[in-house]
Amino acid sequence: MSHRILIIDDEDDIREVAALSLETVAGWEVAMASSGAQGLARAVEYHPDAILLDVMMPGMDGPSTFRELRKNPATAKIPVLLLTAKVQSNDQRRFADLGVEAVLFKPFDPMTLSTQIAGVLGWS
Amino acid sequence: MTEHVTQPELNAALDRLWKQFHPQMEERVAALHMAARALSMGKLGDNQREAAQSAAHKLAGVLGTFGMTKGTILAREAEILYAGDADPASAAQLTDIAVQLDALIRART
Repeated sequence: MSHRILIIDDEDDIREVAALSLETVAGWEVAMASSGAQGLARAVEYHPDAILLDVMMPGMDGPSTFRELRKNPATAKIPVLLLTAKVQSNDQRRFADLGVEAVLFKPFDPMTLSTQIAGVLGWS
Repeated sequence: MTEHVTQPELNAALDRLWKQFHPQMEERVAALHMAARALSMGKLGDNQREAAQSAAHKLAGVLGTFGMTKGTILAREAEILYAGDADPASAAQLTDIAVQLDALIRART
C-alpha cells in the first residue's frame, strides 16, 4: 500500500537520499520541505500520512516545528518521526519526551528506512 | 513490505546522488581543515568553531547513509571535539580527522 510522507530537513543531501529511499524501495509518495516554516505549510496542503522531521535546523528547529504541527488541528494527528544525528542519551530522552512517534537516527540505511517507519507506524 | 528495487539498483541511484552532493562534502571537510589549522595557531574564533562543529555534524549524519560508516565515526569525533571550547591540544587530532575524511570522500567516486 502506498503512503504519503513529508520530509522536513534543511540538508538537501539527506532529504534527497531519504526521498530516494522511500520512493524507490517502498514505492511511497514523498514531498519535501527545507525548513520548519515551509514544512508547516506543506503539511497542511499535502496532508501526509507521516512526517519525517529533522531535529537540528536553523530558525525553527524540529521540536519547535513539532509543537506547531500539534497546535494546528489540520496537522495535529499526523504521526511525526524525528530524524537526528545526535546520539547522546540525554538528547534521545528529551526528543522521546516530546511525544513523537519515534526517534530515528542518522545515518540511516536507505534500504531499510521505509521498513523502520512502517514498523513504528504499524504499516504492513 | 514489498521492495520495489534491489540493493544494486539502489546503490546505483545513491552513486548518482553522491556525485551530485560531492562538492558540498568537500566544502564541509575544507571547513574542518581550516578550523584545525586555526586551532593549531590559537586563532580559532567562535564563529569558525561553530561552523566546523556544524560541518562535522552534517558529515556524521550523511556519510554513513552513503555507506561510509568510518566517515560517520570520524566526523562524530570531530563534532565532539569542536563542541564547547575546542582544546588547542586537539589540533593535531582534528587535522588527522580532516585528512582521513578527505581521503574517504575522494575514494568514493
